[in-house]
Amino acid sequence: MSDRTRRFAQSGGAVLAAAAVLALPLVVTDRYLLKVLTFVGLNVIIVAGMAVLFGYAGQVSLGHAAFTGIGAYTCGFLTARAGWPWMTAVAAAVALSALGGLALALPSLRLRGHYLAMATLGFSVIANIVFVEAKSLTGGNDGLSGIPFASVGPVRLDTPWSNYLLVWGAAVVVVALVSGIVRGRPGRAMAALQGSEMGAMACGVDPVRVKVTAFTLSAGLAGLSGALFASAVGFVSPTSFALETSIILLAMVVLGGTRSVAGPVLAAVALTLLTYIDGLIPGLSKTTVAALQDWKGDIYGVVIVGVMLFVPAGMAGLARAWRRKSRSVTGAGEAA
Amino acid sequence: MPDPALLRVEGLHAGYGRVPVLHGVDLHVDRGEIVTLVGANGAGKSTLLRTIVGFVRASQGRIVFDGDDISRIVPERAVRRGIALVPEGRMLFGPLTVEENLRLGAFARGRESAGHGSDLEGVFALFPVLRDRTGQTASTLSGGEQQMLAIGRALMSRPSLLLLDEPSLGLAPKVIAEIFGTLGVLREQGLTVLLVEQDVKVALRHSDRGYVMRTGTIAMTGTSADLMADDDVRLIYLGAWHEAALGGDGTPMTGDAR
Repeated sequence: MSDRTRRFAQSGGAVLAAAAVLALPLVVTDRYLLKVLTFVGLNVIIVAGMAVLFGYAGQVSLGHAAFTGIGAYTCGFLTARAGWPWMTAVAAAVALSALGGLALALPSLRLRGHYLAMATLGFSVIANIVFVEAKSLTGGNDGLSGIPFASVGPVRLDTPWSNYLLVWGAAVVVVALVSGIVRGRPGRAMAALQGSEMGAMACGVDPVRVKVTAFTLSAGLAGLSGALFASAVGFVSPTSFALETSIILLAMVVLGGTRSVAGPVLAAVALTLLTYIDGLIPGLSKTTVAALQDWKGDIYGVVIVGVMLFVPAGMAGLARAWRRKSRSVTGAGEAA
Repeated sequence: MPDPALLRVEGLHAGYGRVPVLHGVDLHVDRGEIVTLVGANGAGKSTLLRTIVGFVRASQGRIVFDGDDISRIVPERAVRRGIALVPEGRMLFGPLTVEENLRLGAFARGRESAGHGSDLEGVFALFPVLRDRTGQTASTLSGGEQQMLAIGRALMSRPSLLLLDEPSLGLAPKVIAEIFGTLGVLREQGLTVLLVEQDVKVALRHSDRGYVMRTGTIAMTGTSADLMADDDVRLIYLGAWHEAALGGDGTPMTGDAR
């Protein structure tokens, strides 16, 4: 298959997948399952941004749950307490989380490897303390409740179906946007930086700018996910944005693999569904589900360590290796 | 009258952190010239190239390129300004293909589609072996092919000044000759070249002038022919001392060359 036909097949497949995802509410009638799938979509939005940050820009973040939290609290506070229109509140939420990402990225991207991870981890912890202590804004440990549903003009999205469509509509747009970015000029710049930072600079790539942009973008997308979460669930509390959530998100990206958007997105779907497996398999015993949810932190930890040890390029890397192998086999066949 | 020098370095001091490496370097490269920098390890040759493009910050002195003071330039600006560095060790994008490496060479020119094809053709005309390798990843190339790719990538930015840092490193004599043979072609295309080289004999044979660096300063300068005839250069850098000691039969000598 030539590159052009493969790309054509890929984009055709992507359009079909998007259509199938958006048509799913036609067949899914179970409200719980629909809510679970909405959570999947929320994670897809965050992970698509982190796929750029980790898989292309090579940065490890342990703080993205904090950006989701900033987005969720901003949207929640502005719609529930300040009476802002929903659209404006979401825009503010995205802008504020992106700004937070920029503020963290500028000083800490001079750090590399685990030092950057440490800085984002520290940020995550500080943000969570703020979520708990800034009671007049966040409601403290009790959380922020009474957040209205999303509404666009006179249309209120107050059913699980409409919220599913809202979240997955956003997810489809985000994945398309991110795929465009990594295929375009910023993607080439990041690929060059991964290959050789000095070589990339000699070609005219500004490494700080590329990394700061990737970090800001991924923080803004995390904020978008948080804003949608707040209006879909109607309630926001600090535990949703604790360090464990950041680790779970990182597990999805790591498992999904480097230099790929599809890999991390699929991993986000799989790992999110794992926690809510009872939505897919209704007959499952309560103890099994409870055990899965109690142990999810450990499961994700094992996933991260296992992938790092045995398949550092993740599922996407495995797929690439497999494709190369099949290509070289057919190539040898043609030569013979 | 316009300055005949494309690059002029005046009293340049630079170093890494608190370790000074360059102690007042003066040199110039005229338009269309091929100039070689020779000197022992640690003399500051690579540091000088890196300072010119801004990888190392100059602490004192001036770098003038095409009439403009570029002493405070950063690498990603230098390439836009028309100075392309082929770094020591090539610094290719290993997992990317030959073509992707070359296209990234044109990154600084912005909208990459325009004029790409003809630039690629230019590189392939210079290094035909790369044409057969376009889809191969850079890490799978031989050392010589990698060096050709590194030079090709630098040329994709359409520079007016090409800086080559140790192009012969780790290559077989035949490949070295092939790479140096392209310098003349590049000069005909209007390029000016400043190169750093361990293989002094080959480098001087292919350049117009040379500078000898010693402990961060210019110790000697002259035309390549003069330098090759100079006793000190012959003794220290061209290995004439070995040949003399061995009676000129060229038998390899054991022991430290220095």
